[in-house]
Amino acid sequence: MPSSKVLITVNGAERELEVAPNLTLLDFLRDDLRLTGTKECCDLGECGACTVLVDGRSVNSCLMLAVEASASEVITIEGLADDGRPTALQDAFVAKGAVQCGFCIPGQVMAAQYLLQRNPHPTPAEIREGLSGNLCRCGGYVQICEAVLAASETGP
Amino acid sequence: MSKNANDEIGTSQPRRGGLPRVTGRQQFVADISLEHMLHVKLVHVDCGHARIVSIDTTRAATMCGVTCVLTAADLPQPVPRFGPAHDDRPILAIGETKYHGQAVAAVAAESKEAAEAAAELVRVEYEELPGVFTVASALDPASPLVQEPELRPGDPLKHTNVLREMKFGWGDVDEAKADLVVENVYSFPMVTHFAIEPHAFIAAPEDGGVAVWTATQNPFQMQRIIARVLGLPLAKVRVRAPDPGGAFGGKQHPKYEPLVAFLALRTGRPVRLLLTLEETFQEVRRTSCEIRARTGFLADGTISFQDIQSDFLMGAYADIAERVIAKSNYLACGPYRVPNARIAVRALFSHTTPSTAFRGFGTPQVSWAHESQIDDAARRLGIDRVEIRLRNLARKGEAFVPGDTPADGDWAESVRKAALAIGWGKPLAAGRGRGLAVAIKASATTGASYSIVRLHWDGSATVLAGTSDMGQGARTVLAQVAAQELGIPFDWISVVMGDTATVPFDLQTSASRSTVFMGQAVARACHEINAQLEQMAAELGLDATVSVAELLHARFSEVRGEVIGVGSYRSEQQADHPLGGSPSFYEFSCTASEVEADEGTGEVLLVRHVTVADVGKALNPQHVEMQDEGAAVMGLGHTLMEHILLDDSGRIRNLGALDYRIPTTKDLPLEMHSIVVENADGPGPYGSKGAGEGGLMATAPAVASAVTEATGVVIRDLPLTPERVWRAIQESVK
Amino acid sequence: MQPFAYAAPATLAEAWALLNEQGPEACLLAGGTDVVVGLRNRTLRPKVVIDLKRVSELRPQISEAGPWVTITATTVLADILDDQRIRARFPALLEAAATVGSAQIRNRATLTGNICHASPAADTAPPLLAYGARVGVASARGTRRVNLDEFFLGPGKTVLQRGEVVTSIDLPIASGRRGATFARITRRRGVDLATISLCCIVESSGRTLFAYGAVGPRPFMVTDESGVLADPAAGDGRKDEVLRRLLTQASPISDVRGSREYREAMLLVMSRRALRSSIERLAAA
Repeated sequence: MPSSKVLITVNGAERELEVAPNLTLLDFLRDDLRLTGTKECCDLGECGACTVLVDGRSVNSCLMLAVEASASEVITIEGLADDGRPTALQDAFVAKGAVQCGFCIPGQVMAAQYLLQRNPHPTPAEIREGLSGNLCRCGGYVQICEAVLAASETGP
Repeated sequence: MSKNANDEIGTSQPRRGGLPRVTGRQQFVADISLEHMLHVKLVHVDCGHARIVSIDTTRAATMCGVTCVLTAADLPQPVPRFGPAHDDRPILAIGETKYHGQAVAAVAAESKEAAEAAAELVRVEYEELPGVFTVASALDPASPLVQEPELRPGDPLKHTNVLREMKFGWGDVDEAKADLVVENVYSFPMVTHFAIEPHAFIAAPEDGGVAVWTATQNPFQMQRIIARVLGLPLAKVRVRAPDPGGAFGGKQHPKYEPLVAFLALRTGRPVRLLLTLEETFQEVRRTSCEIRARTGFLADGTISFQDIQSDFLMGAYADIAERVIAKSNYLACGPYRVPNARIAVRALFSHTTPSTAFRGFGTPQVSWAHESQIDDAARRLGIDRVEIRLRNLARKGEAFVPGDTPADGDWAESVRKAALAIGWGKPLAAGRGRGLAVAIKASATTGASYSIVRLHWDGSATVLAGTSDMGQGARTVLAQVAAQELGIPFDWISVVMGDTATVPFDLQTSASRSTVFMGQAVARACHEINAQLEQMAAELGLDATVSVAELLHARFSEVRGEVIGVGSYRSEQQADHPLGGSPSFYEFSCTASEVEADEGTGEVLLVRHVTVADVGKALNPQHVEMQDEGAAVMGLGHTLMEHILLDDSGRIRNLGALDYRIPTTKDLPLEMHSIVVENADGPGPYGSKGAGEGGLMATAPAVASAVTEATGVVIRDLPLTPERVWRAIQESVK
Repeated sequence: MQPFAYAAPATLAEAWALLNEQGPEACLLAGGTDVVVGLRNRTLRPKVVIDLKRVSELRPQISEAGPWVTITATTVLADILDDQRIRARFPALLEAAATVGSAQIRNRATLTGNICHASPAADTAPPLLAYGARVGVASARGTRRVNLDEFFLGPGKTVLQRGEVVTSIDLPIASGRRGATFARITRRRGVDLATISLCCIVESSGRTLFAYGAVGPRPFMVTDESGVLADPAAGDGRKDEVLRRLLTQASPISDVRGSREYREAMLLVMSRRALRSSIERLAAA
């Protein structure tokens, strides 16, 4: 099966690789680039654990083929902070008790990041709506939403 | 010596391990990759109960990149069986699949793609067999036997699908007087854990034995079982347990760890098996049941007797379900004063996913029945539903189960707080209703936790504890205990968990036991250190008020060393106790809910939802709140939307995230309150008890009671989907 | 996923050439939110996946020309939700699009993809039908326009022939005032597929249109020309009579999301509510 050459910028670093077409962006990030911060759960776009930013938009990376991301800019949870230090949003998650088992958290943070980029001062209802694509079985939604609200108040 | 002036206990220290989780650095099992690792894929048949006619692995085995294809025939004969209580589960299906999803073969290959492709090439010829999928068919003598009688030698019930009949009770139900007898049948559905982390297992040959990585809540049991199945000494089996990405009981007991351990030794290489979410659903669920409750009341609402008969549907293998059923049904009467009780429960096999431990451990099921009963009586007797509970609740110190651990909390206080918070008695808007319910769970009855604390020469410390941090923040709380007891800063303490080779024995992380058991073990280890420090000070001729740092410097400046303390907390078996031991504490919870019901569509909106947890002492208030609210949200799942649906062949129809729905941010109640009662009356450090399960134990009866007030209809089956509520309303107007 | 080749043609002509060459072995890809699921589940087993997102003629765009608003094939739902013209002219389409999946899904899913996947429960289908949408189709043989109410043939089936590609969905700008409502029933308040879905449009002329999803093999539309439904003064009894007659065209089934009886009952309940809402919105327009 022919593979395609893709040129993807991931967390600011340009990568040129041969990838098989039947590789999802999620598997590409986790297995080929060893960026395991993005998680695999339902693998059909229902749980949001695999959320990353592609060209500034939040997407479920399990529903994208890696080849589709050629010439795009991808940001994963590992690339959120510019200088390696956690962002105010990430700090807020810890401070507000939003982190329980933590498995859904990278996806939640990325979804929240996108939400705040578009809407820097969301209402609680808008936050719930914006994060509705991210499941948390530990049930930490109240704290997760509070963290996003707190981050929106303090700024980036 | 002087202790740290800071009061660690009751401080909401930030979650240890929070930062790695929000930055993506936390390593879960699926994130671990070992060199020369093989990828494993399972082969299943799409059927509930089937006879395996033949398995042709030749095409798969000869495929490029495939290292080995294993079936039951390739394992040592007889195929080893394992389980936490009964050794009934084979490593791979033997001649028959007993539940939808049971693996019949496993492929190990150089890549995920090769393993997937090879798994597709394994040709399984099978014949569907009639199966047992419901309580009724499990009890039908004409039904096939789920479990081979040879596995139950000496068991008089071995030719039935009843694993065990349990009876609990006291007094004389038949002689008891009652002015009102309420008799109803309740059901609780099959639901699955749906941790966001699907199951994942890694094994590798190591040091003449095997090393296993698995997100288990119970590394020591895992070690014991793998050692037995492989015929290895414990010292040659190392289980590493990375923090689970959610467990809730589903990762308590072995599933495919024995299989991957075999594969690792067979191939001589590390192997990794990642289950899909669908495969995970097929492996774990909560025990479902039907409960027939007959409750007698006096005219003033006092409970006169409880006569309960229930059937709990386990799955194809016993796993820990028998224990779930025993523990919860032992308290089937609830936290009340009940002078006469008769509880008879059957644990039944079925050709379905083996049910296992699941947060609440049977309590959500039994409280669904006893709370709905008391609400029914309240309505018929014209007594307020909070009042009737206050009249019957056991008082602190009262032995509500005769001869056993008495009520260890001021439970009425929790009820009053919940009632106040929900606005009980205040006028209700049209279409709205309120409900309140309680639940009681026996905590660990036996067990042992050991901890080693190492105070380093620079005054920092490492705590070794076998507890699993699966979200409840055990790492944080145990560090707080050590910081408090040793008088050193919280940030100077590391906690090491999850490795049978380095941490001492812990029974398991379950039953909300760790704060009590492991917390006490850690505290005692610290006390041992403190005693040694006192001795040290005396030997060095130093004043007792010298600081820990100064003392250590004095002792260890020339020749380095450390001060080691060992602590343990054990609760031994009591042979004559039905549960093997008295509960070390009870987890009591109260839930109150206000709902708005749309009678046209049956949709229920949660306007306000309150949970009250009686925790003794909240060592980390923020952790308690997040656990309690998290449990409440999980409870809303089985209350309003979760149920596993099976077809006539025992196949799960709603397999996967698309059709098995759990609560999202948009399903949250408009308002949620989590209240904590702290009376320092628990056996754990500082008077703490356990917490974390309560929030979901009484959710269903509280919400259902509110729906009844809002709509006039009583529903005795779960979940309360819009369609179910709508149907009940339609029936009632006929 | 099993192996396949991937092509990203730069023009429609290239896309057609690939389609004609590969025939049924090819699968078109836009947003991927349905296709990639199919590839993962192996319900789709193409030899070639043809990505339409780089086709120059299909670049995402919402434009207005004469009496039509045109949404090109690769326009994602998130951009439709942001568009003021759609918000002003086709509010029920916005209501429906907002229920499709999550923000992550809507950032990739295309309106065209939602239609071409042809699920009977496609949320955007009822409002598109009620608004009189038509589908622009192009192949090497030429172009054609198909009214949406003739586009669906059954679950997963459309009138598209081999070699044809949907280029756009066009919505006619209404000349008169109207009130439109989208409504649906789901199993939970969170993201979910519809148990039933519907769109109701009441026009100032007195005509009422209902379009329904998830209650038959295809989304379908029914019209009341009598004026009874649109008449705020007409009694509920009379309206119910008309609704029941219109609803005989629905053929809901029982599945994991709901039973036939529940769906039938909800059709009436939700139709009444959507009608009331559309009458109010017309009055406010």
